[in-house]
Amino acid sequence: MTPTGVPGVAETLEAHGETTLVVDPARIVETCTYLRDAEGFNVLVDVSGVDYLGWGGSGVAGYIGTEAGRDLHAPGSQGFQRVPADKPKRFAVVYHLLRVADAPGRVRVTAWLDDGDEIDSVVGVWPAADWFEREVFDMFGITFRGHPYLVRILMPEDWEGHPLRKDYPVGGEPVRFSGEE
Amino acid sequence: MAVMPAQRIYEGTRIPSPCPTILRIDPSEHDLDDILTINFGPNHPSTHGVLRLIVDLDGEHVAGIEAVIGYLHTGFEKTMETKTYWKGITYPERIDYLSFQANELVFVLAIEKLLDLETPEKATWMRMCLSELNRLHSHLVWLGTSALEMGAISMFWYAFRERDMVLDLFEMVTGVRMHTRYFQVGGLAEDIPEGFYAEARAFARHMPKAVDDYEAILDRNKIWLERTKGIGLLSAEDALALGQSGPMLRASGVDWDLRKNMPYLAYDQVDFDVPVYPNGDVYDRYKVHMDEMRTSARIVAQCVTRLEEMRGDRWIADDRKVVLPPREELHTSMESLIHHFKIVTEGYRVPEGEVYVAIESARGECGCYLVSDGGPKPWRVKFRAPSLAALQATATCVRGAAVADLIAVAASLDPVMGDVDR
Amino acid sequence: MALARRLPLVSDRPAAKAGLRSERTLWPDRGPGVFEQELESIEDALMTTTVEKAVAWAQSGSMWPDTFGLACCAIEMMSIVSSRYDIARFGMERFSSSPRQADLLIISGRMTHKMAAPARQVYDQMLEPKWVIAMGACASSGGMFNNYTVLQGVDKIFPVDIHVPGCPPRPEALMEGIIRLHEKMRAGVPPAYEIRGVAE
Repeated sequence: MTPTGVPGVAETLEAHGETTLVVDPARIVETCTYLRDAEGFNVLVDVSGVDYLGWGGSGVAGYIGTEAGRDLHAPGSQGFQRVPADKPKRFAVVYHLLRVADAPGRVRVTAWLDDGDEIDSVVGVWPAADWFEREVFDMFGITFRGHPYLVRILMPEDWEGHPLRKDYPVGGEPVRFSGEE
Repeated sequence: MAVMPAQRIYEGTRIPSPCPTILRIDPSEHDLDDILTINFGPNHPSTHGVLRLIVDLDGEHVAGIEAVIGYLHTGFEKTMETKTYWKGITYPERIDYLSFQANELVFVLAIEKLLDLETPEKATWMRMCLSELNRLHSHLVWLGTSALEMGAISMFWYAFRERDMVLDLFEMVTGVRMHTRYFQVGGLAEDIPEGFYAEARAFARHMPKAVDDYEAILDRNKIWLERTKGIGLLSAEDALALGQSGPMLRASGVDWDLRKNMPYLAYDQVDFDVPVYPNGDVYDRYKVHMDEMRTSARIVAQCVTRLEEMRGDRWIADDRKVVLPPREELHTSMESLIHHFKIVTEGYRVPEGEVYVAIESARGECGCYLVSDGGPKPWRVKFRAPSLAALQATATCVRGAAVADLIAVAASLDPVMGDVDR
Repeated sequence: MALARRLPLVSDRPAAKAGLRSERTLWPDRGPGVFEQELESIEDALMTTTVEKAVAWAQSGSMWPDTFGLACCAIEMMSIVSSRYDIARFGMERFSSSPRQADLLIISGRMTHKMAAPARQVYDQMLEPKWVIAMGACASSGGMFNNYTVLQGVDKIFPVDIHVPGCPPRPEALMEGIIRLHEKMRAGVPPAYEIRGVAE
């Protein structure tokens, strides 16, 4: 089931029954075209961005389970959590693909980018990528080369900043309680 | 699965690919003096919420269209990064506020997948039952409001009569009409009350007769047929290329339903049909919705039968690291007290990893991409919104159509702006 | 905003000048209280009903809400039109899409910064007298969303008469809010923009 021989793939990961292909961002269009035509992933389900700034900084200890995983039959088990492994770069652009066919399948394609890097748009491969990429641009500031109309989609056009980045504050107002000075 | 061949009604009207998501005026086709730009502003009579369409009209036909969204962008994903998982479950419901339990379900399923947690069978079947009731709720509101927009105003009252019955069932089980927050990681929040089974069964018996009523009003109504047949055509290839799912895809002839093709919960153990229609116009989408209402009623009846056999079973998993202990134990067991305290204040920790879970909500494939760093709060939550994909297809569906058809097509795409903007 | 009112304002206190001594509290007593009884006896004695009361009765008898449904609360707002909760008993089933013909703006749902400008435009286009109900927690105070994009309460951009809590409020709760608004009107309380003023 795992696609093999896909061009541009740096490594293949399997977890929780899902396949993730880590791809070289410079060859993303080639990879996606191959996946669409040769492997039959005809539907682009989602394009998301993830910002890994500050990854792994929240500490290690937890009462959850052993390093290998948790044993449901030994609910009192203690142990330490796995330390989250370092991520190669700050941003990840994640494509979820679906094969609508008699033998359905899903795959996730991840491309790692640094701040300020650009990546080619896959609008030519699946037109569905249009608004998804606009949203990633709006929320993270990642530029997609070759996108026909890369403007902000969710925030107002004159908004400054990219909200889903980790260094962008959540915002809002401090809650005032009646009776406090 | 079979991609059904396009029928004769469809030939000659295919939009050549690439499927446009924005239409711009082509100066060679339209005289620029004749173009009138109209703003279907964020506040408008059509009841889909705050969608803004900037439409260039040549006479009465649509020459250019651009959809401006974001008027309901609530920052769910950013806010959920600051809430623990337990507190965060209230948020996804408000995303797609018509099929609220679908969003809740997908988030809870994603957390359970990362935790590798098994839910008891009673919880699985009840989740399925409530998801189907929620699908009914969403389709009823869709029917009422779409018919209202297209002029069949009295459908609104008929559809909302049944909708209130569905909400009565929700209130009986969960205490709230909408945004029920009944699904917990591990199962359900509370046991199922005894009166639910009889009421749900009576409702499941009543619902197909109600659908018969709706079809009697609309199915062969001359005005309805004129307004929906042959309007808003979307071929199967275009639908797949535009990332459609759900009723949009099934009305274009693609036999794809996540409940049948990639079953989750206990959908492989219930007997139901998936309606597929070949023409890809508004009428077929309407028919898909009506047939899905009947299907949902059937599934609800089967779920209730199965749930009645499981009376008295556990409704939530037994894993005390994640699930709150029962309150009686708090008086006697120190460990339970500590666990309760830790779960409520700090939150349970979810192992590191990333996972994508998708279910078939009323609108299509609703998915949750969850990235966890091992802490009590999610690192990144992304909800795949079926309405965003559906709305992208507006431009492809309305090229050359008249303004009235634009309203009909926008209604048939079933966008919920909370889902589009998140 | 300089339409001079020729009708005497509530602050002229005509009833007080005629000998009324008690005061009206809007709640807790929902039934006719001392205030109403005194007022009735004075009016019976004078054999009149004031023009404002007649006008307030007419205004509250058929307020037309504006279709300003934003999010989940809009669904519950639509359900008050449905047959079980029937807002047509109060003459309000005619939701007007044009703000120029609407009296009541029910903000139902979360208001984002992007939407605040069109919302303010709709409010400005409404003709006086106009009332605003902030329906739900998000419209009243930002609700559960305290972030960069949700306006923390719609009364930051225009004055609100009634806040209806809930997430979403039941249709009965919204109708309670509407009925309290009617009571406020009939008691002579002017619309919120006269009490609080409107920022430009």
